[in-house]
Amino acid sequence: MAVGKTSHDNQAVEEPNAGRRRLLAWLSSVGLFGSAVLSAVSNLVFIKPRATYGQPARFAIGKPDDFPPGTRISLDVKRVCVVREGNKLAAISTTCTHLGCIVGISDTGFACPCHGSRFDQDGNVTGGPAPAPLPWFKLSLAPNGELEIDKSNQVPPGTYLNV
Amino acid sequence: MSTQTTEKSAWSAIRELPSNVWSSVFRNPVPSTDLERASTSFTNFFLHIHPVKVHKNTLRPIYTMGLGLISIFLFFILMATGILLMFYYVPSTTQAYDRMLDLRGTVAFGIFLRNMHRWSAHGMVAVVFLHMCRVFLTGAYKKPREFNWVIGVLLLLVTLFMSFTGYLLPWDQLAFWAITVGTSIAGYAPLIGSQIKFVLLGDTTVGQEALLRFYVLHVAVLPTVLLTLVGVHFWRIRKDGGLSRPEGARVQGPGAGESGVVKLRLEPQKRVFGLQGFVRGPFTKVGNTPDDTVFSWPNLLMAELFVFVLTVSAILVISLFFNAPLEEPVNVMHPPNPAKAPWYFLGLQEMVSYSAFWGGIGIPGLMVAFLIAVPYFDRNPKGVGRWFAKERLMANTIFLSMVILNVIFIIIGTFFRGPNWTFVSPF
Repeated sequence: MAVGKTSHDNQAVEEPNAGRRRLLAWLSSVGLFGSAVLSAVSNLVFIKPRATYGQPARFAIGKPDDFPPGTRISLDVKRVCVVREGNKLAAISTTCTHLGCIVGISDTGFACPCHGSRFDQDGNVTGGPAPAPLPWFKLSLAPNGELEIDKSNQVPPGTYLNV
Repeated sequence: MSTQTTEKSAWSAIRELPSNVWSSVFRNPVPSTDLERASTSFTNFFLHIHPVKVHKNTLRPIYTMGLGLISIFLFFILMATGILLMFYYVPSTTQAYDRMLDLRGTVAFGIFLRNMHRWSAHGMVAVVFLHMCRVFLTGAYKKPREFNWVIGVLLLLVTLFMSFTGYLLPWDQLAFWAITVGTSIAGYAPLIGSQIKFVLLGDTTVGQEALLRFYVLHVAVLPTVLLTLVGVHFWRIRKDGGLSRPEGARVQGPGAGESGVVKLRLEPQKRVFGLQGFVRGPFTKVGNTPDDTVFSWPNLLMAELFVFVLTVSAILVISLFFNAPLEEPVNVMHPPNPAKAPWYFLGLQEMVSYSAFWGGIGIPGLMVAFLIAVPYFDRNPKGVGRWFAKERLMANTIFLSMVILNVIFIIIGTFFRGPNWTFVSPF
């Protein structure tokens, strides 16, 4: 558009290149809106941590001899219960599948203090609001002879480690 | 006039200095005429949140009960005390609890400020909820106020989330286990539940990362969101034509005719007050409405001051006599039994004890969806501006049964639940 034109001229004459201008305006709007959406998404990526500073998923819990046959020892800090029957060892989660409280060991298995969920010896739900059984974690023997639990690796209930 | 001004001596400038400074700051005298009353509301930065005139119905205490005002005044108290508490608080798992003890023991007025903050927070949750009940039961959410109602529902949710994030900060037993339960409920949300939980906690369990995140949400993110929404909420009150009131009928006053219906005054008013006289449209009432309005200065201002003094006094007295609870420091190995959320979440916790998804996500989600959708489905224009209007029997019954159901669940969760969430009798 020429510099000298008045507004009157603009109204009177159909602008040349109006279609191209509309396209450019549309493209820049999409570009601006797109970048706004992208920056919002980048914030979501930003607040989702890549590394956590809490407990590692894999940790050692000691020698098999620390867990005598026939015992059920709950490691509350690690939120796992180590079960030993004879030479068979297993690690059952003690985090309630309902709302994350720590279940305690009871006569019949496990009991949750928060909302009254109850589980049997193998972690199956026997009562209360818990929607799923307590998961079993992979238990392995490290080369240095220590038992190692991997909480990121769940195994089917009934899977034991023989020592 | 101008010649007199130029001829003034230095002495008269000094003599008139106080009044010149005063009149440069306050451009209006203390109002004594209607024009000055109008001008005060219109030109003063802090007062121009008010319209020049308000409907008499707006000032009836029995109509609004001042609940919206009490909510915002409680939020002002929360901001003031919260900022002061920030001077001593450290969002660290090793220090937070000690800082609570310091507030009790060594900080001047520390315990008092914490009491004020805690009781105002409890009060704000209750009053915002009651405010919502008032708006619903008087049918005030109807056209053209639908969107302001939606903003109000969002404000209730932000208020609850503010309270929830603040709950973790003392890092005591109650806080830790309430947040463990609360974030686990978030984990039940469909599809993205576990992601939301992970981002909220910044880790797989409640710990230092969660404390830091909740702190930032509590002191920066959520107050900003809340203040922005409050700003829009207030703006919309004005733009939607002031507070809701009965349509035409039942206005008591000199303008009311025999049938109780106010006759329109057809001739335009003689005086217009400043710029507002030129504004047209549904927002100003100059010249086309019956004179059932009063000036905001001093009527509305005095009403607001009264509610403000009442609110602050109540919080001060409660904070003098009752200390904010502080339990034992966090023991991540032993949840208290029973582990209870704050009272306003106990209805949720009670429902959660039946089904985590339906109690924690499904039913609350449906309730919020109902609240947001109600002004767009209830298009019946009748029954606005009166409590429990007969025309709104069905809507009010649905709403009240929802409220009563929640209250019952809260009462059960608070008084009738013991260890392992078993049923106990408080008597």
